[in-house]
This record gives sequence, structure tokens and C-alpha cells, in this order.
Amino acid sequence: MTKLFGALLLATLPLGAASSGAAASPDARLFEDTVRPVLEQRCYDCHSHRADKIKGGLALDSRRGWSLGGDHGPAVIPGEPDRSLLIRAIRRQDPDRQMPPEHALTPAEVAALETWVQRGAPDPREPATAPKSVSGTNLWWALQPLVQPAVPAGPGQPIDAFIAARLQAQGLTPTPTADRRTLARRIYFDLLGLPPTPEELDRFLKDSSPTAYEDLVQRLLDSPRHGERSARHWMDAVHFAETHGHDQDRVRENAWPYRDYLINSFNADKPYDRFVQEQVAGDALFPDDPQAAVALGLLAAGPWDESTLRDIREDTLDREIGRYIDRDDMVTTVMQTFTSTTVQCARCHDHKFDPISQSDYYALQAVFAGVGRGNRRYGPDGATQRQRTELTRRLAAVEQRDPAVLFAPAALKTVRDWESQQTTNLVWQVVRPDVFVSVAGATLTRQPDDSFLASGPQGSTDTYTFTATSTLERLTAVRLEVLADDSLPQHGPGREPNGNLHLSEFQLLAFPPGATNAQRLELTHPSADFNQSGWTIAHTLDGKDATAWGIYPQVGQAHEAVFELREGLKLPAGTRLTFVLRQLHGGHCIGRPRLSVTDAEPPARAEVKPAEIRQLLATPDSQRSQEQRVTLARYVLRQDLTAQLTALPPAALVYAGAGDFEPDGSHKPSPKPRPVHLLRRGEITKPEETAQPGALGCVSALPSRFTLADSQNEATRRVALARWLTERDNPLTWRSIVNRVWQQHFGRGLVDTPNDFGRMGGTPSHPELLDWLAVWFRDEAHGSLKQLHRLIVTSATYRRAATYAVSPGEPAKAGTTPLPENFRTASAVDADDRLLWRRAPIRLEAEEIRDAVLQMSGRLQLRMGGPSDRMFDLQPGIHVTPKVDYNKFALDSDAGSRRSVYRFLFRTLPDPFMDALDCPAGDQLTPVRNASVTVQQALALWNNAFIARQAEHLAARLAREETQLEGQVRRAFELTLCRPPAEPEQRDFVNYAREHGLANLARLLFNSNEFMFLN
Amino acid sequence: MNPPTPRSAPASVSPRREFLGRLGGGLGSVALAQLLGVDQVLGGDTAPAVGRPTGIPLAHHRPRVRRVIQLFMNGGASQMDLFDYKPELFRRAGEKFDPGAGQHVEAPTSEPGRILKPQFEFRQHGQCGRWVSNLLPHLATCVDDLAFFMAMASRTNVHGPASYLMNTGFLLPGFPSFGSWVSYALGRLTDNLPTFVVLPDTRGLPYNQRGNFSSGFLAVQHQGTVINMGGPTPIADLRPPDSARFITPAASRDGLALLQQFNRTHLGENPGDSRLDARIQAYELAARMQLSAPEVLDLQGETEATRNLYGLNAPVTEDFGRRCLLARRLVERGVRFVQVWSGAGGPTNNWDNHANIGKELPPMCAATDQPIAALLKDLQARGLLEDTLVLWNTEFGRMPFSQSGEGRDHNGGTFVGWMAGAGVRGGVAYGESDPWSWKAGHNVTTNYDFHATVLHLLGLDHGRLIFRHNGADRRLTDVHGEVVREVLA
Repeated sequence: MTKLFGALLLATLPLGAASSGAAASPDARLFEDTVRPVLEQRCYDCHSHRADKIKGGLALDSRRGWSLGGDHGPAVIPGEPDRSLLIRAIRRQDPDRQMPPEHALTPAEVAALETWVQRGAPDPREPATAPKSVSGTNLWWALQPLVQPAVPAGPGQPIDAFIAARLQAQGLTPTPTADRRTLARRIYFDLLGLPPTPEELDRFLKDSSPTAYEDLVQRLLDSPRHGERSARHWMDAVHFAETHGHDQDRVRENAWPYRDYLINSFNADKPYDRFVQEQVAGDALFPDDPQAAVALGLLAAGPWDESTLRDIREDTLDREIGRYIDRDDMVTTVMQTFTSTTVQCARCHDHKFDPISQSDYYALQAVFAGVGRGNRRYGPDGATQRQRTELTRRLAAVEQRDPAVLFAPAALKTVRDWESQQTTNLVWQVVRPDVFVSVAGATLTRQPDDSFLASGPQGSTDTYTFTATSTLERLTAVRLEVLADDSLPQHGPGREPNGNLHLSEFQLLAFPPGATNAQRLELTHPSADFNQSGWTIAHTLDGKDATAWGIYPQVGQAHEAVFELREGLKLPAGTRLTFVLRQLHGGHCIGRPRLSVTDAEPPARAEVKPAEIRQLLATPDSQRSQEQRVTLARYVLRQDLTAQLTALPPAALVYAGAGDFEPDGSHKPSPKPRPVHLLRRGEITKPEETAQPGALGCVSALPSRFTLADSQNEATRRVALARWLTERDNPLTWRSIVNRVWQQHFGRGLVDTPNDFGRMGGTPSHPELLDWLAVWFRDEAHGSLKQLHRLIVTSATYRRAATYAVSPGEPAKAGTTPLPENFRTASAVDADDRLLWRRAPIRLEAEEIRDAVLQMSGRLQLRMGGPSDRMFDLQPGIHVTPKVDYNKFALDSDAGSRRSVYRFLFRTLPDPFMDALDCPAGDQLTPVRNASVTVQQALALWNNAFIARQAEHLAARLAREETQLEGQVRRAFELTLCRPPAEPEQRDFVNYAREHGLANLARLLFNSNEFMFLN
Repeated sequence: MNPPTPRSAPASVSPRREFLGRLGGGLGSVALAQLLGVDQVLGGDTAPAVGRPTGIPLAHHRPRVRRVIQLFMNGGASQMDLFDYKPELFRRAGEKFDPGAGQHVEAPTSEPGRILKPQFEFRQHGQCGRWVSNLLPHLATCVDDLAFFMAMASRTNVHGPASYLMNTGFLLPGFPSFGSWVSYALGRLTDNLPTFVVLPDTRGLPYNQRGNFSSGFLAVQHQGTVINMGGPTPIADLRPPDSARFITPAASRDGLALLQQFNRTHLGENPGDSRLDARIQAYELAARMQLSAPEVLDLQGETEATRNLYGLNAPVTEDFGRRCLLARRLVERGVRFVQVWSGAGGPTNNWDNHANIGKELPPMCAATDQPIAALLKDLQARGLLEDTLVLWNTEFGRMPFSQSGEGRDHNGGTFVGWMAGAGVRGGVAYGESDPWSWKAGHNVTTNYDFHATVLHLLGLDHGRLIFRHNGADRRLTDVHGEVVREVLA
């Protein structure tokens, strides 16, 4: 066997090696000598991956390029020059396609290409964008296997040694260590996102222990505030927000548990590989951990196009395009976040710059082929969650007619037991109402069968009420029939043009004789002979006007629904019953309702059975066909499993991405992964082969296509990707995360494009340090992010001052700041501070500014977790998108005083104040925030109501804590700038406060550059 | 290279000015002007080359247009009821729609109905003989100045993605809007007002709300400033809130002086950081904007004749007319890009006429027709059309067959847009739809082509207006777009 395999390998080798020239075949020589030069010199400018734009979609730099061809189909048909578009074009045969457009090829060049095509167009070239070299020394830096470099000789810990080596090589002297005050403000903001309070600062300044700084770092890493800070960075990176972000910008009520998951994970210092695995496949890898299910919030973090994916017709091309775009968001989020690759650039063609093929891209789409976004149940504990998973699995198997589940012994018994209970024949008595009203003014006309036919104007919403005197002594259930009628659109039973109806709520009231108040009767066990997908009868009792029962597409026929009374009711003679049919969804009114009542004794279930099941029950088991047995088993088991699921301890909901989720209209889970095709040029109308789940071919240590035992179980695909991402030998993952953490402390990563380690991205400023950190983090810190933070912030490099010593001087005039000599020298070599000769100042982020202001004003509340704070007034909108008004928010309310990580994030209407400070809206992955300086930002800080109100609170606090103006000004400086005022400042600010009050003073300090920037 | 602005960049505030970083934190006035985005090229004769890697955003060639007013009809204006006259629809009204050749017919939200003929009369107008229905009598008098795109096509039939596509060039949220690209590329013409202003329908924001005028991954200074004519505070944060009584004019004046002095001292101690200087400048500019903005919003200074021209004297035209007039005042004072919206999001009060074209379309036309014609005439009379471009757009068109009898469903297959003003050849109609106005026929204009054409008029090569984001070179025109030269004067 081994021998045979070896022989096969050898036999195929010459083909693969042809292009290297050593063993070039005659065909290869023909190509290399006569064809390639012509193509390169005369065609590639427009028709290759080196072109700005591949004209007409035709690339001639690979076999695949010309065989797929461009807009007009294959360019070359091997052996048939006369039928090959390429040859026709260079011969200038067709008036509208003559190539090259300006200077025709020479007859010799034309002849060379003709000969080539005639001989079968042998093309030994590698695909243009296949790994240019996936092994060897030319391998792109990010793909090279991780090997920990030796630490250069030098002072301090390894980070400092790597940094010092480069500085020395460039002849740069680093700035001195920052003073303790500066350092404290820096480390508090960097690790917690908050400044130190004057008391915390004082404690550190007075701590004379040699490990005072290290101790402080440990305290901060242990603070729950640290998880909040880290979570916010992660939310940027994965574009988390809490509405859908399109024209139907619906609120995601259950997105926030993912935010809490992040905070808790960072605070618990969850190992990074586990953190990654949970967010890609936590449901399958850790089924007993409810939080691992919450982690799947990552896959659903981004925008979602509700109109396209839920509301338009399912059979449209727009819907199918929407699915590809939806998966693209998942692929992009996972791969950019965890591997810093731009795989999404290979959607329409092979990646132009990196060794990522279009096939790789669609392999990743296939990983998510069974994933949808929606509300998922989780918890409350591992056992329940496991049970729910099992029941859900069996329910899915029942839907898919899996005989192993349908005819399992236990299932057979369930069906038998159920059947033995179905003996009672209910007798329904039709109600004859004497009062019947349509609130919207539709005409209800009594029919001979005591149904009521609606006509006249259909209200945009309507409520029908029917009142009758009861003829029964006892009431146990009621029935609503909706009947067909030729006068209705599609023959009804609804009045909507498509024949559908939507019943939002069904209520039953009783008026015993002499009673003045109605008694609302509690209804239960609603059932219907048919439910429109997502519009089940249960919605009529859920108390929500927005949900309803519908019957589409089974129009043109009668349907019925039955409701049981929770407790049978004795009806004194003369009791009046009122039936209320609330139809509030918009149109969709019932065309011909009829009501009935019964006094049948419990426990007989009054449920409505479809006609088919009623017939089956009348047929003895021995006479049933196999198909009928399947039908009956599915019907019974579906009910039984659903009831068991309902009886489980209540689950919580998280908006997440996975194979199963609560259906929402026509957006529902797919029983198995949807087929994903490689789309030529990314176009839905040009599907090619079906994609197999996999990842990147360029990570050569790992298989690029997954071998799955059960590939139709979508979760196995995600599990495979999660494992691929967290393999020791995946160099991308480990480099990516250490770079992100580095960025958090220096404002810029060692690679300044954290989402792109490819050829279009930046290259590492200190490649050896990056690799050293990646290996250290993986092998020694075992993925502990807190250890990584500690290592970085305790380095001398991190502790450097922003500048060399500068003597405090006169106010600088704009534009004429003199630069100190040593600063000028260092800038001349490295103005961008890529070599880290100083710690460049960082502009505070929106959340840091807002949280710091709240802390300073004394209003900050540290309560953690739970639903997000809606810092706006929310009213129903004219359609799906609610109306949001940030001006109508009560600034002093509870929701306005928690940390900004708990703010509700509304995609299409972000908070204008935070927006002006560059807080991302959650539309795009934001691994690096902008830090702009703008006029709008100045206006926001100067005039926004939040700053004005907090200025008043700070003023009140100052007045409480200090009695004299001088003391109040000093305290204001300590609170906002972490330092006492210098003498001239003290004088000027006291004068200002004396004239305009402390609140105006606070407003100034909140607007100062010194507050806004972190040295 | 255009990486996102690092938080610690010593001298580059806006990514487009990243090259300044390599000048060693230069703090001269030119650098500051760059930081804050002042127009550096227009009016000069030079056309600086724009290198692909840096994408330094100055004009690529001599521009014909300095400012743009875009009128956006939210909801999908019905092309065959306004401009795209199709006798075939009258002839075959009530028949089943069958385009032949086995072509699949579908509608995004409904079952395709029978062919629905326009209920409006069409006549030819002007020297060019352009067909316009009787819903737009005022605009019909301007057709010789308009260049029509008769066969525009969208990639989608859904409002959200289609609105994003027409506004940002992508189907998804998070990409910079048209006005933001123009701001990013060309900077501002005035210190006193924002560069990109949006005037939404006073009844509400359009589909996608502010997503349509977001700066995406470009710096926030390029985002559209919303002026809400219907609200108590038309421009957010222009002045302190009424609730903050302690902020008196004197406290602000003295405070700003002390703040600037304080910031300058801080700058002296933190040399080599132009962001600190830029913030000082930003507060001075903000103070100027506080003074200029109220003046531009005050329409009382306009003559009675002008106010009546725009229809401010009639309830039906007052709202849109007011915003058209304001648009003129804004561009007159140096705003670069103004977007005026007709129609809010949601199912009604916009151009999304699913239920009954005959009832829903006429009021939208009545509200906008006179003001738009007035805007064109007023700009012309004041000489502003010499360097101003007016655009009329919508996110997609509507179907030739009915939805539920009287309405029309969305149709990305073909729709109409027009432009007028500087550099535009009036009276042209580019492209043609099929005989039913169902799909674009020949000379199709995509959103990419339309944007490329406008950018061209602004002196910009759409293929070279680039911003690197998350590893991809992003453009308003994605990887597509051809300038439609047939409409250029």
C-alpha cells in the first residue's frame, strides 16, 4: 500500500514541478518561451491580478482564469483556436471585441498564441494567488511557524530587551520613566478605563514598597472594572450592537447577555483558547455550560437585514443573496478577529494579495451554512440545558421523519397512551350572539349558520365583540371557527387580499346575572388545526398585541381554534358571555367567525385535531399504512416533546448565532446546513461547485478542509473551525491576540493593522518581540490575558514618559511650539514612535471620557450586568424601527449613571455625544478606533447636556467637600486632572470660579486637553 | 497606506493626513489647515497627482463642480408614473405580465399582479421633448436643463440595502456616505458651517436613519450634520441646553478664553503633538459656527417673491420648499454637500407606494415639484448653477404590474434619476429600460456609475479615491463604476 502510494506521488510530481523549469516538459517550454511573455507584456495590465481592476472579469494569469473566462465566458477552448474568444480578439475578428484595444499584437505573437491553443493550451502556471510560497524562507511573516526567538542581551524583562536592541541600533535614547502621578493615571485608564480617585492616587504615591507599582497593577487586574474595560475593546472588534441596523432596525432585547459573558470571561481570566472556542462552537463543545451558549453572541453581533431575511418572499433571489451576505459577516467577524486575515477579500475572486483562494472563502461560508441569528434559549443550569438540547434534537428528528426516533419503543408507547385518551367526543353548541360589534365599523351580518360575515371597510386594526346569553350550566372550553366565504378575497377566511387573518388576542368575559363587572375568564391550552409559521395560536393568549395567529398559506378553507378554561365554570342561568377578538396587527381581519361552547368534562382535551388525524383515529391501527403511522407518530410526538420542552425550568434568552433558534416569521432554523456554492465573481447567478467546510489553505500545518463524521450536523462544522483556530500550530491566532493586547497599552499594535496581517497590512515593528510574546502567551501564560497585561505594563517600555523633561513655561502660541532638541532628534529618526522611544499620548476614548466625568461628579454607579441602559426615550415608530430621542432622556435617572459599557447601542441612531467622540456604531469591525479632533466634537463637549449636568454635580460635590473656594479649585484639579493646580492656574481658576461659579469651572476642566489626553 | 488612525499617532489626526506624521509633527499653518480639513486645491490651477498608496485627497483633475445638492426621494419613486413613459403599459393594461423568453417574474413582497397602467397623462416637454407625467408640471418646465438616467439599476429590491447602496455604494451598514467621501476628498469651503449637511423630512428620518449619512470608518468630521427643521433645536449642541442656566454668555466667553490659555500652557509642556493644537483651533471654529448657523437658518431675510417661488406660502409645499430654500442658503455660504430628503421611513408618507399609486404618489409629487423647480431656477438666477450640481435620486423603482390591484411593489430592475447644473449637458436622456420599464435595457447606470460621474464632476477619479480599512482598499464605487460621459457638457 505504502509502496503504491509512493509510486503515485512520484508519477504526479513532474506535472507539479513543471513550472520550476528544472524538468520542464516541451509543453511547459512552449508556454514559457512563446506564450507567457506575450500574455505578461500585452495582456496582464488589464487581465491579471496585478491590474487595478480585472477588465471584463477576465484574468489570464492562471489556467483557471482563462478557462472560467470573463463576462463573455471561457476565453480559451483548448484545441480550438477559432472558437476561442482570446484568439478571435487578438485576430481582431469581431468589430466590438478587438484586443489589445490600441496596439494590435504582431502576427508572430498572434501565431504563438494560436499554436498554443491548437496544442491544447498547456498552462503550467500555479494559480496566480495560490500561496506564492507556502513553505521555505520566503513565507509571509504572519504564516511562518511560531518559534520563540532568543531574548537579546540587555536590561530589564524580555520586552525591554527587544525594544532596547532596536533603539540602540538606531541610536535613540528613550525618554525617562514617567513620574508616579502620570503613571498612576495611565495605568488606571489603561486597565480600568477610569482615572484614580484622589484617595487611590494618594495611596499609591505614599506606598514606599519597592513593588508598589506591581502591587497596584495586581489590584487593578483583580478589579471587576478591568473586565468591563476589556469587554468594551472586544465589543469594538466584533462590531457588537443591539439593533439590526438596516431599514428595520429592530431592538435585540437579548443581546446584552453576550456583553456580560465578555465581562465575566475577562474578569475570570478565561484561557484564550477556551474563550475562542466558546464563541465559535460553545454550544457543541461545552454543552453543560450555559455561558458557553451565550458566547455564540459573537456570531450574531453584527448587523442583520431583517427585511431581506425575514420579510420579503422566501423564494426570491434577494433572499438568497441576503443569506450569502449574512454568512459573509460571520466569516469576516471570526477570521478578522481571531486570525487577522482578510479572507472576505476572496469572495469574488482569489485574494489579490494574500494566499487565500476563493475556494477557502466559500469553505468558510460552508462552516456557517446552518447558522442563523435569533433568540436562543440557554440555562438556567447545565442539566436543564442538556435536556433541552436532547428534546430539541428529537423534535427536529421527528420533523425530519427519522424512523429511529418515530418508532422507538418509548415513542410507540407515547403514541398508544395518547390514542387511548382520545375517546371523548366533544359536543359543541354554537353560540347565538345578540350583540355584535366591530370597533372599526365593519359590517357584521349574521348568517343562517350563526356565523358572522364581515363586509364594508376593513379597519387598519379592529376588535370584534360578540355577546350572548349562555345556554349551558357549565363551561369548559370555547371554539372559534373562521369560515371560508365566496365574498372574501381568496375565499377567506381572512379579509386580507391574500385571504389571511391575524388574531392578536382572544378574550372571554362572563357577566353573571346582576353583576356589574365582567369576570375575565382565564384561558389555557390553545390549539388550532393549522398555524402559520411563526404565527401560532399561542400568540392569542400571550398578552402581546404585536403577535398573532395566522393561517397563511392555507387560505380558502375553514379553520378552527379551541381554548380551554383553566377552571371549569358554573354558569348561573342568564349569564352573559362576551367573546373579544382583538385584531391589531394591521388589516388581516377575520372574514367570517363563528363561536361555540362546550361543557365536556375534563380531562378530555378539547384540542383541535387536523382532519387527517381525526380520520386516522377512526382507522384501526392494523389497517393503517406505514405513511399513516408516520403521520400519527409525528403529530403525537411533536405535541409531547413540545410539552416536555415547555415544562422545563424557564430558560433565559440570548441573541446568538447557531443552528437552532426561535423562529421569527419566515426566518427559521434550517434542519440541515444549506448548500453553499462557490459563486463565480461573487454573483448569485453564477454558482459553481458546492463548497466543503474548511479554513485557510495557507496555514500549512493544519488541514484546510475538514473531515467530519456528521457533516449534516451544522455544529460539527463550527467545532472543526473552533479547533482549527485554537491549534497550537496556528500561528495567526496567537500572534493576533498578543498584538491586540499590546495595542491596548500603546495605542497601536506592534502590527498597526490588527485585522490584517496580510500583504496589504502593516508589518510588525518588532517581529521578534511579537513572536516571543505569542509563544510566551501560548506556552507559559497558557492563554492568560491578565498575565499578558501584567507583563506588558510592568515593562520599562510601558512606563516611559511622553516627552523628555520639559520645563514648565509660558503658554505656547498656536503653531509655533518649539521642540526641545532631543525630541527633535528622536523625531527625525522615528516621528511615529514606532520604535517606542517614548510613550506617545493617547486621546481618551468616548467611554473613558464619559465614565471619568461620572466618577468625578460623584454620580458613577458600579452596578454590573443586566439589560442595557437606554439613555434615550423609546417610542413605537411608524414601522419596525422605534422612535428614539436622546434629548428626552432624564440625565439624572438611574440608567444614566452606570459605566458606558452598559449603554444600549442603537445602530442607526447612535448616541450623538458618544458618536462625536468616535465611539463606533457597531456596523463595522473596529479593531482600532479613530481618535479625531473636530469642530463637532468641540461643540459636543462644550454644549452637550450631559457635560453641563455633570458639571453641576461636580460643583455640588466640591461645595460639599470643601468650604473655601481655593480648596474647591484644588479639589477640582485633583479630581479631574489627578494633580493639584500650579500657582498661576490656582489664581486664574479661582478668579473665574468666583465670577461664574464652580459649575462653569467644572465645564472648563472637562473640556481641557489635559483631561482629554493620557500621557 | 491608510491605516485607521492610531490612538497614539503623534501628528496625524485624520487618516487622510497620515503623511503629515512623516513630516515630524510639523505644526505650521498648512499642517493645521490639513488637520481640520480646509479646502486646499480648488480655485488653484494645479491638479496634484494622487498617489494610490497615500490617497492624499486633493482633486485629481480640474473640477466643474464645487458643491452638490442631492434631493433624495425615500421609498422608491415610481419611474413609469413620472418619467419613463411606456405606451406598452397602456396598451396591455390588465393583462398578465409576461416579458417573454421564459423570464422569471417575481416581486419582493407580493404576488405579481396584472399590468398596471399609469393613471397620469404624459406629455413631451421642452426642446428635448422629454416625457413627463402631469404629476410634475413645474419640473416639466426645466427638462432642458436636466440630464436623465433612464435606466438605473440596483442590486437589491429591499429598502435597507438599496438605500445603503445609493448612499454609500455598499449593501451593508458602516460604509461612508456619498457626502462623507466628498468631505473627506475635498475638505471644506468655509470655516463657519459644516461641510456635509442633511435636511431630513420633518416627519422623520429615512430608512436606515442616520446610517445613510454616516461617515462609516472615515473620521467623524465627515459625517452629515443633521439640521432638523421640525425640532426645537435644529442643530444639536450648537448652544448649551436651556436646562443649564449656569452657562451664561459671559461665563462661556470668559471660560473659552481661560480654556484656550490653559490648553496652550499644556501644549507648551507637551511639544510635538499637533492634535493638541488642533483642539485649540477646533474651539475657535466652534465659536464661529455658533454665530453663523443661526443666520443661515433664518429664512425671514428672503424676499416674499423668493419665499413664494419655493411654495412657502402653501401648506402642501411649505415643508419641502423650506428645506430646498435652506439648501440654497447653505451652499451659498460654502457648505459642500447638502442632502434634502423627501419622505420618512416606514410604509406611508413617502415614495413607497405599495397600496395605491393613484392616491399615494400625487401628494408626494405635489409637495416636491414646485420647490425643486424653484431651487433650479433660483440657483440659476443667482449664478450658483455655475459650480453647483443638483441631483435627484431614489433607491429603486417600481414594478409595471400591480400589487393588490392599485399599488406597485419594489423594483431594483430599472429606475430613473437626474442631475442638473455645472458640467451637465441638459436635455439628455441616457439609457433606456425595456418596453415595460421592468428592467434596465441598454446603457444601464448603476449606483457606481452615477457616483463615479458626480465625483468626476467634482474633480475626482472614483478609482483613486481610496481609504484602506481592515485590509481592503475601500471606494465609494467599490470595484465598479464608469463615468457616464454622455451626460457631461
